[in-house]
Amino acid sequence: MNETETKPKTGNSITKTLGNYSFILIFLVILIAFLLINGGATTWSGVMNILRHSAVVGVLAFGMGLVIITGGIDLSVGSMLSLIGGLSVVVFNATNSPIITLIFALGAGIFCGLINGVFVGLAKMPAFIVTLSTMLIYRSIAQYYLRTLGQSIYNMDGTLSSYDAFYGFGQAKWLTVPVVGLVLIAITAIMVYVSTMTKFGKTVFAVGSNEKAAQLAGINVKRTRVLVFVITGLLCGLSSFLWLGMNGSVDPATIGKSYEMYAIAAVVIGGISMSGGKGRLLGVLFGAMSYTIIDKIIASLGFDALINDTIKGSILLIAVFVQIVVPAIREKIRKPKTI
Amino acid sequence: MEMLKMTDISKSFFGVPVLQHVDFSVEQGEVHALLGENGAGKSTLMNILAGVYTRDSGTVLFDGEKLEHTTVKSSEAVGIAFVHQELNLFNDLRAFENIFLCKEITKKSGMLDKKAMIKKTEELFESLGVEIEPTVMVSELETGKKQLLEIAKALYANAKLFILDEPTTALNNEEIGHLFAIIRRLKDQGKSFVFISHKMTEIFTIADRYTVLRNGEFINTGKIADTNPQEVTRMMVGSKYCEQAAYETRECGEPVLELNHFSGHGFSDVSLTVNKGEVVGFTGLVGSGVSEMFQTIFGVLPMTGGTLKIGDATISMHSIHKAMTKKVSMIPSNRKENSVIQDFTLLENCYVSEHTLSGRIQHIFRRKENKRYCKLEKALNIKSNSPGDMITSLSGGNQQKVILARWLNTKADVLLMDNPTQGIDVGAKAEIYKLINQLAKEGKTILVNTLEIPELQQVADRCVVFYHGHLQTELSRDDMSEETVMLWATNAINSLEVAK
Repeated sequence: MNETETKPKTGNSITKTLGNYSFILIFLVILIAFLLINGGATTWSGVMNILRHSAVVGVLAFGMGLVIITGGIDLSVGSMLSLIGGLSVVVFNATNSPIITLIFALGAGIFCGLINGVFVGLAKMPAFIVTLSTMLIYRSIAQYYLRTLGQSIYNMDGTLSSYDAFYGFGQAKWLTVPVVGLVLIAITAIMVYVSTMTKFGKTVFAVGSNEKAAQLAGINVKRTRVLVFVITGLLCGLSSFLWLGMNGSVDPATIGKSYEMYAIAAVVIGGISMSGGKGRLLGVLFGAMSYTIIDKIIASLGFDALINDTIKGSILLIAVFVQIVVPAIREKIRKPKTI
Repeated sequence: MEMLKMTDISKSFFGVPVLQHVDFSVEQGEVHALLGENGAGKSTLMNILAGVYTRDSGTVLFDGEKLEHTTVKSSEAVGIAFVHQELNLFNDLRAFENIFLCKEITKKSGMLDKKAMIKKTEELFESLGVEIEPTVMVSELETGKKQLLEIAKALYANAKLFILDEPTTALNNEEIGHLFAIIRRLKDQGKSFVFISHKMTEIFTIADRYTVLRNGEFINTGKIADTNPQEVTRMMVGSKYCEQAAYETRECGEPVLELNHFSGHGFSDVSLTVNKGEVVGFTGLVGSGVSEMFQTIFGVLPMTGGTLKIGDATISMHSIHKAMTKKVSMIPSNRKENSVIQDFTLLENCYVSEHTLSGRIQHIFRRKENKRYCKLEKALNIKSNSPGDMITSLSGGNQQKVILARWLNTKADVLLMDNPTQGIDVGAKAEIYKLINQLAKEGKTILVNTLEIPELQQVADRCVVFYHGHLQTELSRDDMSEETVMLWATNAINSLEVAK
């Protein structure tokens, strides 16, 4: 956006830019804290691992970002990871083909997202309730189906000929950068492009900003609402595929647990308004990475992992405080209310 | 005996006088019609009486007592009941709960005595002849019944003076008859009424006296028996100076919009042909159905009967997108809610509609869009710093021009404008009129719906008047005087005929 460049009149464009990109500030503070705590033990691959470990949640958080910009929410992303991941293992074991597995994962993602989208977009049911329901349903199916298979986790068959290639993809590096991290970067680039430079992207913002006006301007609001959920499903499918490459197995009870919350947090830290219509998808990348770093800080300090969510929750509170309360105070100081 | 005497009342909002030295008095046991156009100051005067606003100067005598520092509560206490135009009911409470809100009957234990309240409500409804179940949820009532409930609620307060602000807008004829019977009965008991309405028929049926306000000034008062609808209308409208400079006669082309027994929600059986390059003015009171008809032509509301022909194509399955592909566009009323996308820049607000028609290429070519916007900005004289400014940073008039640019950007040929100068200052209004005339000259077909008749005189080739969802009449440019239009819009023409 060249918005910030073309608005020098307001005089406080620097503080405004900082406000718009506060997610980078938050990220840098956390990153520096991480580097200081690690001290001499910091390695290049350690830093690159941040990218790698942000990939799964980061990719699906972009879908969450789009959904939230339309004013909705998708609580089912973690469960989609469980269902699509589990079934993808089965598909891989049956076909011995990572490509077919990928196609299946993406297709299943579209299908799961479409279910959410149809209920929210066409039947006009509240997104919170619809995705709360599918959150329960998707994970439950994943767990139930596993039981019928008589196994305790979905395990990729290591004896298959293409197993090594698939698993290798999850661990691979290209010029010292993890490939799954590159996938995250690529998705970031695509999603930032889609949200800022395409006509579809603009409709997403328009629907979130003023649904009535968007409709009367000719935008197909229903289609937009369905599409953002389908895209979220698609990205969940991709996330599942990345997960398989990285881990080789899926425990449907624990995979992606609380990921919907982390994704929402990443979106919010990224500066996207929960009421819709405002924000930048670029922030999602930094939001997701910020949370990964917190995991690493806690691990290297040797804290109990259970304290993890306390710190993540606090960071979220501070981030939102900075984004909402600080501008409000500034506004109050600048122009005292008249009558 | 005088129940109410308001003398020399003045009131300004932010330095703009809305009432100037107004006198108003109501006798005991009379129905007094308070008349005037929108913005004449009727509601302000009544709100001062009811304690919603404080007056700047003047005195109020009520039932022999001087009222000072009136609040809503104190005005209720002395016996003034105000039935507001917009319904002040709680949809999620039951009928009796609404009536007893804040004055609930309780048992000794402090529990609500529902039985007693329901019984009293029943008695109240019975005495008024209102057919509402006391325990029904208000949300389940239709608007007419809600209005009756609102009136019943005020009557329960056992006031001496009732202010009814357009009480019949949602009532059918039978219910209106019922309401009038109630008013007459209470009148005989010595209660007084201030009756605000635009409908001449009703005023001449129920009112004893009238007072006319215009532009915040007292115009006249007198007995209804001594006047007629025409005279009252003339008093309301005045002999306003009407600038006609903007309008130029123009040639109109072949028909582009043909309605044949066209019907939908809120209007029915409209037959009309509009030609290319023509500006047709539509007018009527609030709820006349013009707005709904515009929305139906644009595909927002479903059509329920008749035919709609745009250009050469007869439309059956309609949608906004289809209307747009047929080069029809609509500038809806209530700009803030229905047109402006607040989080978008001027440029984004402008191109958003065109993009829904050119969705095949998804990429936005910023330079090309900027160029197109700048061209429109120049043509429409939009005052802004840059296309990247947020739309909310502009004045109302400039925002409306951006919305106009949005539709010109789609190359629309037919423009439906629903109250296009709502909330726009005088200077910007004149500019919008100029633009409408200019666009018509360029061959655009424009339908304007407005409540302001001087506005029609600025732009319209002819004027179509609606009343209660029906096309009342079509007036040529020469007959478009405010008086004539008002006679048709208030259906006074019929009461005139009845009088004859």
